[in-house]
Amino acid sequence: MKKEDHKVQKFDTRKENDLFKTLILTSKRYKLWVAFLLLVILIGLFAYYRQLKYGLVVTAMRDYTSWGVYISNFVFFVAISLVGSLFSSILKLNKNEWAKPLTRISEIIAVSAIICAAAIIIVDMGRPDRFFNVIRYMRIQSPIIWDVIIISTYLVVSFLLLYLSVLPDLALCRDRLKDIPKWKKRLYKITAINWSNDPEQVRLLHKITKILSIAVLPVAFAIHTVTSWLFATTWRPGWDSTNLGPYFVSGAFMAGAAIIIIAMYFIRQNLKLKAYIREDHFDKMGKLLVLLSLVYLYFNINEYLGPAFKMVGVEGEHITELFAGKYAPMYWLVQIGGLILPIALLLFKSMRKPLPISIISTLVILGAWFKRFLIVIPSLQHPYLPIQDVPESYRHYVPTWEEWMITLASFAWFLLIITILIKLIPALPVQKHDHVSKSNPILNLIKNES
Amino acid sequence: MKANYNIISSLKLGLAIFFLFFSTAVVLAQDSDAMEDANIVLSFVDDASSHKIIAKATDKNGEPIADLDLYFYVKRTFSNLPFGDVFNTTDEDGTVAVDFPKDLPGDHEGNVTIFVKIKDSDLYNDQTIETVKNWGVPTALDSTTQKRTLWAAGANAPIPLVLIISSLIVSIWFIIFYIVHILVRISKIRSIKT
Amino acid sequence: MKDKNLKTDSRRQFIKKISTGGILAASGLALGSLSSCKEKSAEKTAVLTADGKLVQVPNSEIEEMERLNPGAPPLEARKGIPGKKFVMVVDLSRCRNARKCVASCDKHHDLTPERPYIKVLEMKDNKSSSPYWMPKKCFHCDNPPCVKVCPVGATFKRSDGIVLIDNTRCIGCRFCMAACPYSARVFNWGAPPEGKLDIPYSPETSLPSRKGTVAKCDFCPNMLREDKLPHCVTACPNGVIYFGNEIEDTVTNGEETVRFSTLLKDKAGYRYMEDLGTKPRVYYLPPVNRLFPFEEGKEKPEES
Repeated sequence: MKKEDHKVQKFDTRKENDLFKTLILTSKRYKLWVAFLLLVILIGLFAYYRQLKYGLVVTAMRDYTSWGVYISNFVFFVAISLVGSLFSSILKLNKNEWAKPLTRISEIIAVSAIICAAAIIIVDMGRPDRFFNVIRYMRIQSPIIWDVIIISTYLVVSFLLLYLSVLPDLALCRDRLKDIPKWKKRLYKITAINWSNDPEQVRLLHKITKILSIAVLPVAFAIHTVTSWLFATTWRPGWDSTNLGPYFVSGAFMAGAAIIIIAMYFIRQNLKLKAYIREDHFDKMGKLLVLLSLVYLYFNINEYLGPAFKMVGVEGEHITELFAGKYAPMYWLVQIGGLILPIALLLFKSMRKPLPISIISTLVILGAWFKRFLIVIPSLQHPYLPIQDVPESYRHYVPTWEEWMITLASFAWFLLIITILIKLIPALPVQKHDHVSKSNPILNLIKNES
Repeated sequence: MKANYNIISSLKLGLAIFFLFFSTAVVLAQDSDAMEDANIVLSFVDDASSHKIIAKATDKNGEPIADLDLYFYVKRTFSNLPFGDVFNTTDEDGTVAVDFPKDLPGDHEGNVTIFVKIKDSDLYNDQTIETVKNWGVPTALDSTTQKRTLWAAGANAPIPLVLIISSLIVSIWFIIFYIVHILVRISKIRSIKT
Repeated sequence: MKDKNLKTDSRRQFIKKISTGGILAASGLALGSLSSCKEKSAEKTAVLTADGKLVQVPNSEIEEMERLNPGAPPLEARKGIPGKKFVMVVDLSRCRNARKCVASCDKHHDLTPERPYIKVLEMKDNKSSSPYWMPKKCFHCDNPPCVKVCPVGATFKRSDGIVLIDNTRCIGCRFCMAACPYSARVFNWGAPPEGKLDIPYSPETSLPSRKGTVAKCDFCPNMLREDKLPHCVTACPNGVIYFGNEIEDTVTNGEETVRFSTLLKDKAGYRYMEDLGTKPRVYYLPPVNRLFPFEEGKEKPEES
């Protein structure tokens, strides 16, 4: 409003202009968005307060369905967090130049997702007050301990990945931005750690960026494989599968690609970065999504064909329930609407335009979330021994409002972290060399790269 | 009326005397002085092929007691395990021989506590004779909880698992610390040119 | 004449009184001597209460105190009772779903009906075979999947074979519940129903239970430390459950004591789902030559 009438700082290049504008201006829409997210988080906190006071009995989890939406949400967030490694590691090492602008968004999403995963697992604990028992009495034989170790490691690695790529831009913010609050100035000064584009600094940064790009890949694969071992080390139908690791990892990459597309669309629209996130980015992302979805489809077929062919005992009951029983509507909606349909549609170029592909990606993300629900809950309802003599509510699982609110609050928290980070750092790499558009010469300070 | 009164009172008296005798008999019947004590002497046959207990029952006059049911037990944790036949009855000489099973476990030295009992006999009082013999198979103390297994306590994790996980953690965190170290180096470089 | 009559009368009165009194006394003595044979609820014991009062308590009430018999404290409870390796044998041919084991276990562990440690399941192995009742509790496996996955070691296996839970350490992650293939564990989703129990905590009694922690059958180690059988074994009216020390090769159901190896050999004892490799410590004897028809168990109303 009035602030926009002020003398807004102008920058030397159009690129800096576009990317720094969001750092110095706060639109009304932004404030409304943050307020909305905070409201959702507050209601979620109230639901969590109720859970702390009365215990997990406020959820719909009971002795048979002892894991519920919290765990499926946790798996979902761990899956999303793999996207950082997808871009900053796989595509970069593969020298996919077109993906370079998207590395920043992917790293931000990865950091935010892994923080939310850690938060939601604490929510699921029956005794969060005893959290430090995990460190004091750690049993190295337990898959949960492996998961704790790898998640904390990946949190640090993701954060470092983001930091290393954003360091030159932080220096740029420190140098170029005026008219920003004092705390922001200090923030940029401290986090930019005396970066001055000195050739030696540049060389060192490149070295460690390369090391980290390689190192993050095994960590990323490990994090989702270890999470799959939380299920694969038990005897539940649907979990007792040797296929679970690759199945989870491929699903993670697919979901990550979809969420990048959605993020691209929103950032492009709201931050007005149409020149940088172009239609051919969407096109290439669409093709990448098809490829990843095909890999996931392959693992899906492997996961279900074996058990369906044999129909062994409770495994057979579980498969029947998924294909033709209580969970059949959800299952087929997820598989067809969230997997097969997107693959079919994205084969057409017209579908890979920004708006259509964003809608399709939303379908994929919804499918991914409910797929994780279908992975966690139905298996628990088919133990080897029959469920008898329990209240009817034990046989079904319909999440309570507290669970839904806490889940929505976790999404809001996820989006809030992204929103705040986009306010602090440019959404696209500024300093890195980039072929944005030949008509816009960039200040290419990194001379020994091209 | 006088006659009726006499009959009634004598009936009452008779009833009273009857009750008195009855209760005395009941009380006295519980007194152990009425039944005899049997004297049981145990002897053992202990060779390579078998362990046998031979019990000889004599009454207080030294006469052998025939047709007396004896019960043989081994002391176990919650109860006593019977061994021998269902009925171990003494013969005319008052003896009965019972085989002790060769493969019954004892404590860690191989000792077992054996009870020989007289139970519910009409003529003789209940009696238990206890003896300890080294006829059991010695049992070793369990040490499975000290071994390194997946289900042991955290300190007893299998060595390969500990090694693999430690080396993985050390290698990745070494890289992380190295990166942080380089970042510190970067921050120390101050360029003279602006 | 009147004097004489008076004297006779008073004599008669005297004899009457004596005889009535004698009858009463004698009958009282007889009854008293008969009843001294059984020492149940008529007997009272003098008890000194905490505030210095001397009260008489019937012996049946004193049994109630036995359940608060404490087991070992948490650190001590991690060590097993030396020289013992407990094992249980359940004779399926005798079970008629009386559920006295469930009632006794629920009473001694303060459990609610939907959260029992023992479940008596109606099993039917396949379409053609006949149904039977199977009491199932924690199998205290020798290769326990629940102990393997616990991140903090709140559930542990002792040298005497018992798997216990320390609910002062449990973080409520419920991984052990997911890992157990026999659905043996229950969780305290809300505040425990027994309210605040003012007794020292012992993993061996699983009391007092805590909100947000897991619980299961514990083989009653507080009873075992005193060489007493677990509550379910003594409560069963049909002698279904045998319990004993595998090292001594003996099991007993309270009345019969038999050699464990002989029992399994003679009656073809097996373990449920042996192929899973968890090595359970509970054996089952197949339902052959049943003592009761299956339908009798269906008529019985559920005891709470």
